Amino acid sequence: MKGKYGKLIAGLAASVVLAGAATTASAEDTIKIGIAGPMTGPVAQYGDMQFTGTRMAIKQINAHGGVMGKKLVAVEEDDACDPKQAVNVANDLVNKGVKFVVGHLCSSSTQPASDVYADEGVVMITPASTNPTITQRGYDNIFRTIGLDSMQGPIAANFIADKIKPKRVAVVQDKQQYGEGIASAVKKTLEKDGVNVVMYEGINAGQKDFSSLITKLKQAKVDFVYYGGYHPELGLILRQAKEKGLKAHFMGPEGVGNKDINTIAGDAAEGMYVTLPPSFDTLPKNAGLVKAFKAAKEDPTGPFVMTSYAAVQLIAEGIEKAKSTDPVKVAKVLHAGTFDTAIGDVSFNKEGDLKKFNFVVYKWHSDGTKTRVE
Amino acid sequence: MHEQMLYFLQQLLNGLTVGSAYALIAIGYTMVYGIIGMINFAHGEIYMIGAYIALITITGLATLNITFLPVVLVIALVLAMIVSSAFGWSMERVAYRPLRGGNRLNPLISAIGVSYFLKNYVLLAQGSRDIGFPLLIKGSWTFGDPNGFEANFSYMQLTIFIVTIVCMVALTLFISKSRLGRACRAVAQDLKMANLLGIDTHKIIAATFVIGSALAAVAGMLLGMYYGSIDPEFGFIAGLKAFTAAVLGGIGSIPGAMLGGIVLGVAESFTSAYLSTDYKDVVSFLLLILILLFRPSGLLGKPEVEKI
Repeated sequence: MKGKYGKLIAGLAASVVLAGAATTASAEDTIKIGIAGPMTGPVAQYGDMQFTGTRMAIKQINAHGGVMGKKLVAVEEDDACDPKQAVNVANDLVNKGVKFVVGHLCSSSTQPASDVYADEGVVMITPASTNPTITQRGYDNIFRTIGLDSMQGPIAANFIADKIKPKRVAVVQDKQQYGEGIASAVKKTLEKDGVNVVMYEGINAGQKDFSSLITKLKQAKVDFVYYGGYHPELGLILRQAKEKGLKAHFMGPEGVGNKDINTIAGDAAEGMYVTLPPSFDTLPKNAGLVKAFKAAKEDPTGPFVMTSYAAVQLIAEGIEKAKSTDPVKVAKVLHAGTFDTAIGDVSFNKEGDLKKFNFVVYKWHSDGTKTRVE
Repeated sequence: MHEQMLYFLQQLLNGLTVGSAYALIAIGYTMVYGIIGMINFAHGEIYMIGAYIALITITGLATLNITFLPVVLVIALVLAMIVSSAFGWSMERVAYRPLRGGNRLNPLISAIGVSYFLKNYVLLAQGSRDIGFPLLIKGSWTFGDPNGFEANFSYMQLTIFIVTIVCMVALTLFISKSRLGRACRAVAQDLKMANLLGIDTHKIIAATFVIGSALAAVAGMLLGMYYGSIDPEFGFIAGLKAFTAAVLGGIGSIPGAMLGGIVLGVAESFTSAYLSTDYKDVVSFLLLILILLFRPSGLLGKPEVEKI
């Protein structure tokens, strides 16, 4: 009995959804923008940034008359940062006739979903996924408005070589894909810049005791340490290094740049360097936009708010320039031109990555704030 | 002093510090094995819970404005020991005692279950994030040339040594002199016979779990403070290392567990120092395999040794 009713209710619900889809589909004077990202699950707070930025962009573009006289309509879907659900979401968006998608958030979701979009000729712009392989599969309609993991290493290394000019550098990493990738890129660039890298060591993620490593760093008279990995390990290294009297500067990628490192390292986090995506909300040209976010009681400071906003701007401008809502034509236009967006002037290479995306160097403070160094 | 020598001594000191804490945890494994011949895989989780209780107590006392250091440390240590012992006792009562007398594999599987249960329990209660553990015992002595390599012996390391030695001596005295200790030895030698002679073996086994858990809690608090952060996964690697130490020293033998812990800690430290940190865990587990191959009863264990 119970099962029967359950099916009945599910059927009713499904038909309501279908009916809803049918009515919006019949409205020819709108352009649907899919927003796919996590509304639930462990990284939902990042999803909030994406939805906040995208909704605001759609609202403002509609307030200025829409695109080619048509209103933008958001079609929101929750992938919960789950690769399987992401594929379902992608298929669902395609079935609803969506031709332009802002999403997904997690690289592991974006990758399988992008296969669906590529097959169906949908333009997808991810505002948050940084894994390099997403755009390396020869798709013409997959873009991103954020940098790649592989960009951070060289930027950090050039900063070390040009600004810090240390005499003896150690590069330490956690032997995982993210940390080791960035650390080896840093090492390579440092050596090219003529910086003396005296040590390259791996630790284990989850390791707690770094006393031997720190003693070794001290004996090698290292004055700068680059760490590729996440904050739990670097936090402990900073703290134990301070106790053991290692006088060196530390630097890490965005995986270490969050406030949790302060609860572990305490005072020892003061003065750490970290590469992060720039805070686009502090750009002078975005002052009006930031005001609009604040008026709507939304937070414009998250790293993915402005990249999501820019993704919608790109879709809108692409449609205007192509004078068509055909995603293939829009993708061509996006590959060719330069666009003025909330994250600055944007142009794409043939993979669909940004030609220029500057991770910037911040100095981290023991109270969890940061100041831009360059 | 020569710089290389200082470096050697510093790395030895680092190894001894961690090693003595491994020893404290290893005792819990070895005592339980000595008496009921079972590996208590949930022991690492008791160590982790001890660290959490100590941290919660320290934070709680700070909000109550109790900041006199010796008082804070003693209260935290005692509470951590009591609560962890309670966990150890209930674990034995609920998950192991009903299975006693049956297949030897059952308590082992049950132990793995308890381990996952406790880890997830802490995960839900405290969250998965790493929590910073305040360093309450600050300061250190330094040796050597301030412009060259400086060795460094912190008060925290000294505390770890002193507490470990006190625990070891107390445990040895307890086992060799006290009535309960004698009963423990009797049960370890022959459980059935001890039972026939009127020893309440259930009580003795429970006491073993309580003692092992209390020592694990001591290690948890000391290492949590020494390292600087704790998380629900904190007990897993430490438990594995301590288990290795217990096997290394000869499982079932208490002096063996102490020696095994020290040897393992120093071996890890020297691997980091003279080879590479990458190989730290490789070497410690290689050591385990070699010992099992060439001296299966461990460094101090003899096949017929009195097992507690």
